[in-house]
Amino acid sequence: MRISTAAFYDNASTRISDLQSNVAQKQTQIASGKRILTPADDPVAAAAALTVSQAIDVNTQFAANRDTAKSALSLQESILGNYTTLLQNVKTLTIAAGNGALDDSQRQYMASELAGRYQELMGIANSRDSTGNYIFGGFQNTTAPFTDVSGTTATYNGDQGQRQLQVSTSRQLPINDTGSAIFQNIKSGDGSVSVTPDIGNSATGAGAISAATVTDATLLTHHNYSIDFTTSTATLPVTSFQVFDLSKDPGKASPLAASANYTTNPQTIAFDGLQFTASGAPASGNKYNINPNAQSIFKTIGDLITSLNTPATGVTGKASLAASLSAANNNVTAALDTALTVRAAGGARLQELDTLDNEGDNRSLQYASTLSNLQDLDYAKAVSELTQNQLTLQAAQQSFVKIANLSLFNYIN
Amino acid sequence: MGNILSVGQSGLLAAQLGVTTTGHNIANAATPGYSRQVVIQTSAGGQSSGDGFVGQGTTVASIQRIYDAYTATRVNAAQTSKASLDAYSTQVSQINNLLADSTTGLSPTLSNFFNNVQGLAAAPNGSAQRQTLLSAGESLAARFQSIDSQLAQIGEGVNAQIVSNVGSINAYGQQIAKLNDAIEKASSGSGGAPPNDLLDQRDQIVSELSKLVKVTVDNQAGSGYNVSIGNGQPIVVGTTTFNLSIATSQTDASKLVVAYQSGSTLLNLPDSSISGGTLGGLLDFRANSLDPARNELGRVAVGLAASFNEQSKLGVDQNGKAGKDFFSVAGPLVTPNKLNNPANPVISATIASSADAAALTASDYSVGYDGTNYTITRLSDNVKAYQGAFPPTVGPVDGITFSVGTGTMAANSSFLVRPTISAAGSIAVKLTDTSDIAAAAPVVLASTATNGGNAKISAGSVDASFLTTPPTLPLTLKFSNGKFDTVPASLATPITYVSGTNVTLGGVSFNVTGAPLEGDTFTIKSNTTGVATGDSRNAVALGALQTKSLLVSVGGKASTTLAGAFGLMVNNVGNKTREVVANAASEGKLVDSVLAIQQSQSGVNLDEEASNLLRYQQAYQAAGKIMQTASTLFDVLLSLGR
Repeated sequence: MRISTAAFYDNASTRISDLQSNVAQKQTQIASGKRILTPADDPVAAAAALTVSQAIDVNTQFAANRDTAKSALSLQESILGNYTTLLQNVKTLTIAAGNGALDDSQRQYMASELAGRYQELMGIANSRDSTGNYIFGGFQNTTAPFTDVSGTTATYNGDQGQRQLQVSTSRQLPINDTGSAIFQNIKSGDGSVSVTPDIGNSATGAGAISAATVTDATLLTHHNYSIDFTTSTATLPVTSFQVFDLSKDPGKASPLAASANYTTNPQTIAFDGLQFTASGAPASGNKYNINPNAQSIFKTIGDLITSLNTPATGVTGKASLAASLSAANNNVTAALDTALTVRAAGGARLQELDTLDNEGDNRSLQYASTLSNLQDLDYAKAVSELTQNQLTLQAAQQSFVKIANLSLFNYIN
Repeated sequence: MGNILSVGQSGLLAAQLGVTTTGHNIANAATPGYSRQVVIQTSAGGQSSGDGFVGQGTTVASIQRIYDAYTATRVNAAQTSKASLDAYSTQVSQINNLLADSTTGLSPTLSNFFNNVQGLAAAPNGSAQRQTLLSAGESLAARFQSIDSQLAQIGEGVNAQIVSNVGSINAYGQQIAKLNDAIEKASSGSGGAPPNDLLDQRDQIVSELSKLVKVTVDNQAGSGYNVSIGNGQPIVVGTTTFNLSIATSQTDASKLVVAYQSGSTLLNLPDSSISGGTLGGLLDFRANSLDPARNELGRVAVGLAASFNEQSKLGVDQNGKAGKDFFSVAGPLVTPNKLNNPANPVISATIASSADAAALTASDYSVGYDGTNYTITRLSDNVKAYQGAFPPTVGPVDGITFSVGTGTMAANSSFLVRPTISAAGSIAVKLTDTSDIAAAAPVVLASTATNGGNAKISAGSVDASFLTTPPTLPLTLKFSNGKFDTVPASLATPITYVSGTNVTLGGVSFNVTGAPLEGDTFTIKSNTTGVATGDSRNAVALGALQTKSLLVSVGGKASTTLAGAFGLMVNNVGNKTREVVANAASEGKLVDSVLAIQQSQSGVNLDEEASNLLRYQQAYQAAGKIMQTASTLFDVLLSLGR
């Protein structure tokens, strides 16, 4: 085939420039350490690398969230540790106060020590974290969750909100417990109960159940009860009532005693050491819930201080002191139980965080290796290719110069 | 004797022409489009004499160029498609390089934004966290805008190139017309001898023209080349030219298109009718890579804004007010065709919710009215998405709700609907006050303090129906006979209690765990009255959007995350770049091979010319020798008389 001189030069320059761009591409790959310089180099891997990068970012963020959760839970745990010690001190004092050899003034010393504990407790319940937010207020973390009421009890200003943090792709972990669950709503140990008409009671009923009196403290169960009234549909309607122990029998399968008729107004209802007076005309289907009073630890200590400050004179005074000490002891024990339950739950969460941390670390290693497989350069291969390209380029340049020198005109003279 | 002289002279002249032509070839060895010329020499024939026919020497029949019209057509065709692919690959490489760096693309800013949402979840009342989130939102919006404006600039560049290409096409057309004229005159003035160099010039211009746009050349004897483009619009007929011009698109004022003057009207040529060459490549790039890339980026912006705003509105801010839109973003762009009746009612298109945003495609749509029916066509695959009468609203069609205003629509009206084109360029953070960020949930759930059982109610979350059909708050739930009912107004079917199972009531989802007792109550209260500063439930929900499938990838179902959808765009651009670059390379090989064929026929080989030079030089010397011999012979005769 004829070769035109111009085509020879054109071809040679095109080939050499192609080879040069290959060398430059390889050089850039080696310099950046990346196989994919632009998405066009490997579109699938480029898109996958973006997804994996996001997964890495998300994983890192979850690790940061876990750190936040850990520090919040650890702080709460250490505060609850102090709280537990405080409760144990209070318990020791309560038992010591029961010593019959003590006189009124010695009990007053104890009361003033307890007052100090009460202030300490107030400080614990209103603890703040490093950013100045209250720990035990639920979602209401900028107002102090507990307000002291004249050193005898406290009101709760918070709510029941538990803040959650996303600590792994599929897990949201609560990072606080509320003051209402820890310091309040501790089942009262004195046997006192509250009577609440059921919220679904028909408005036509005009019945009422009086507050309870404890007739025999030894029989107390601290259970939940329900008193249910029914009126028969006979021509002469008869109203009767049944009492259920909901703690033992939540399904109301068997009443405590056979159905009794509500005949006299007012009528006394008594069971398990408690006594109530029913009055008025309860409508059929009306129910009354009897629940042990819940009491806050503030009130428990406040009551204890009051009774220690009250001189125990005579048999009745001593008996009343013994009763209130026993109730306080029960209440403090219940509070300790509650605190330990909350601490156990927090501990379980901390443990879970450690497991999730390990999992997250593994995942981050795995992601890093996936990303590296997707976009990193195989140096050995790249360098050998570069050498090969260089060699070809050199050969092309040298042969071009040699061939271009061949011309018949060199011999015409 | 005179015969010998004239034979020698004819050889001398022929050799001289041979040297001249060889010299011309050598001189033009590097001239683009030059075809080598050869001297066609024929014998001058013989003169009858008694001894037979005596040769009369040689004559030069013509000087011809070695040119094959068929090969030239193949070269032009190959160059047309090569130029088109080159233009495409140059442009698409710009987008490819723009998306190349994974550390400066959209993805890191998107991750950073969501990291800050998580930061807010950890400290919902931290003013630093709130401020950082706003700033991260702003830098995310700025990132969207910057990528979009770079894409828009590429579009501007395409416009500028269309203008310059059309200018060049017109200039080439005029040159062809002039050369048609010159060739006609030259060839008739020389008794039909081919004006080789003029012919080369004209063919070279046609070749240059076909690099700009695909042309059809018709060689008419007597009038020269007639050149037409597109669907047969002539730009040169003999010595007359018809200029192309530039107009703005009928449906998109930001786009320039090629127009053709036909009589007194200026017709916009559809982009699809212009193929091949740089111009065809640019138009192809704009329709198939640039617009889809902007649409796809816009789709990510719409997906982000719609879902983030929707979730924000499900929360309450630091002041206890209902959450507001976090981002603002422009809706679909509807442009009536310039030829529409100006009195037409307005067609509007909206993307109503994040569920609609999830159904969006990256395509544009056309809405046409033929006098009875409306047709909505998805332009990416020309599928008729809707056909029929328009009630005031139609849709959502692929996530877009179309509605028509009041009035009478003229028949044959058309509208272009671009759902996401303006989104990426317009996305911005709408909130200005850090306290407006809705980190809290609108409801507070609590178990009543006097409950006998130990059952706990979860923190709860709300969905869209909480806003559309808000429940009457506060709501009290009462447990009775193993079921939950609301009091005082009871539910049609009380909810059977299963510990830990999610229950949705009036848009509020929650679960109850533990053992509730008969008569235990739980309350759902509104969170707008008391400011729950530590409540980060909505911030957690906002953070979860990062890994939620919010957009369609394939198959019309939301199946990819925001980052995934951006990855899809990167993948599309990468694939297209790879494809076009590979095609350009293989088309380049084709051009090389047909050019090699053409050059092997028409190109100048200097070695060949060197040997021709020697040949004609020697022929000249030999012919001179003949004349010298004739002179010697004369001398012999003349010396006879001495």
